[in-house]
Amino acid sequence: MEIHIHGRRLSRPLIWLILLVVLGAVLFSIVPLTVSLWLWQKLAIFATVFLGIFIEAVPFLLMGTLASGLVEVFLSQEWITRISPQRTLPAAVLGSLLGLVFPVCECGVIPLTRRLFRKGLPVSTGIAFLLAAPVINPIVIFSTAAAFGRGRMLAWRLGLTLIIAITIGIVFSAQRNASDILRQPLFEVELPVVNAQPKGEAFGEKLSRALIVSTDEFFEMGRYLIMGASLAAIMQTFIPQTSLLAVGSGPLLSVIAMMTLAVVLSICSTVDAFVALGFVGTFSFGSILSFLVFGPMVDIKSMLMYLQVFRRRPVFYLVLLPLLISLLAGITFNYLSP
Amino acid sequence: MSNKLYRSLQAFVLLTIALFLAVKLMSGKLDLYINLRFAPLTVFAIIVLALMIYALVRRPKDKFHQDEHHDHQHEHIHSMSFSALVFLLIPILIGVLIPARPLDAAAASTRGVNVSAPIVSSASQTLSFESAADQRNVLDWIRIFKSGTDVTTYLGETANVIGFVYKDQRLAENQFLVSRFVITCCAADGFAIGIVVNWDQASTLDENTWVNVKGAVKSYQLEDQPVPLIEADSVEIVEEPPQPYLFP
Repeated sequence: MEIHIHGRRLSRPLIWLILLVVLGAVLFSIVPLTVSLWLWQKLAIFATVFLGIFIEAVPFLLMGTLASGLVEVFLSQEWITRISPQRTLPAAVLGSLLGLVFPVCECGVIPLTRRLFRKGLPVSTGIAFLLAAPVINPIVIFSTAAAFGRGRMLAWRLGLTLIIAITIGIVFSAQRNASDILRQPLFEVELPVVNAQPKGEAFGEKLSRALIVSTDEFFEMGRYLIMGASLAAIMQTFIPQTSLLAVGSGPLLSVIAMMTLAVVLSICSTVDAFVALGFVGTFSFGSILSFLVFGPMVDIKSMLMYLQVFRRRPVFYLVLLPLLISLLAGITFNYLSP
Repeated sequence: MSNKLYRSLQAFVLLTIALFLAVKLMSGKLDLYINLRFAPLTVFAIIVLALMIYALVRRPKDKFHQDEHHDHQHEHIHSMSFSALVFLLIPILIGVLIPARPLDAAAASTRGVNVSAPIVSSASQTLSFESAADQRNVLDWIRIFKSGTDVTTYLGETANVIGFVYKDQRLAENQFLVSRFVITCCAADGFAIGIVVNWDQASTLDENTWVNVKGAVKSYQLEDQPVPLIEADSVEIVEEPPQPYLFP
């Protein structure tokens, strides 16, 4: 039997990881006791924060890959092509609202978007979906309403997210073909997929196939979740959060501080409203709004996942455009209603 | 690596993750990492992982092979990657090798301790006011002082709170903070809060020691904010409570 291992390129990070662990162990044994005690304390904090992010995010990643598996097995390409609008604006609007049907957050939406692209979804629909779905979905709308009430925070979070997602969806419509923005061209996309599709497959068989597809995708994306969570945990362990928040006063800096915090915390959009609630009183409406709008679109773990799925240039725009628009919106709100 | 072996290894990794989550859940250690409000999600994850494992191990023996209109002689697992298998074991390794420890004074030193927690109205807020003075925890007291209500009725009441000792630079020699970490959804968003304690033997206390502080509540100005202060009658060293965090 012929054996294919496509992941050989990725065993290099593994070697680095082992080297790093060995280096860490050596350092640990030669430094003075007080330093190693300090390191040990830091390590414990790192582990707690890292596992906190991981344990909280895993269910959401599983939800996303499960949705992706079900799409792969149960939705046909013809059907998606038939219902997708051809004109740009309706396509982007549809994409921005798709999250109401697929309730996924920022970890889950990335593999699902790629899967939908593979099934022939227009570029602008997919990009609008990618950016909007982590907020425009029943779970997040509910949790934001629970945290802030049905007031202007909820309205502006949803509104601003829709505006950004639709705008960027339209910008991306310049790309006619999804394979232009995906890292691997569509026709040879190395997506987890069980190739043959026997006719008259029983429902149970289909489900089982969907689960296998989800499993492969969970392994692919889980890697980036883990890298992202460890980066976020390292930053949180060594960079004093107080200094970030101390810097963050004034109409401009407060927005920048909250957006940086959104990226560093890397918490899931389904729960970030409760976290943002803790900043009411210390931070202005505009800066908390930008935290709630920008965080679900871009954070450390989603950036790593973007890079796995998309080419560098699209990723650049996927990070930069939401950054600029939410920054601008946050500052505007700070000046209009401080 | 054959497909069969790869699928078995995947099943093994998923089983390890599921068991890790299940053990943390059953042993009551999950709340070191996340707010238990989100525990149902962990249960959901365990169920999905179990389904995936089931699908992996009961796979019809690659019967797709014989599919005649396909020229593939075997199922082609495109994403087969040994490093992905190892990567997903990293969290488990970290969880097993590094002993689980709640966020403590060492963590508070990078994150800072809030003496006036920016916590606004939530469902449990009213409980802070209604509960008896000796039932209120660190968070309840801070909430009362933050709420903007007239605190004079609360002054002189006897507080009875548990927390870890944190020595803050803003404080005098005879003062320390009795602190707790507050977790909104997971350890990543944890922040420490603390009440200033006046106690003439404060310098004898080591940072991070868990103490039970009893004494009269006063109002105190710190960084231009009215915050609670406990004039300690007694400071007793206690065991770390089974639930070191507070959940708003």
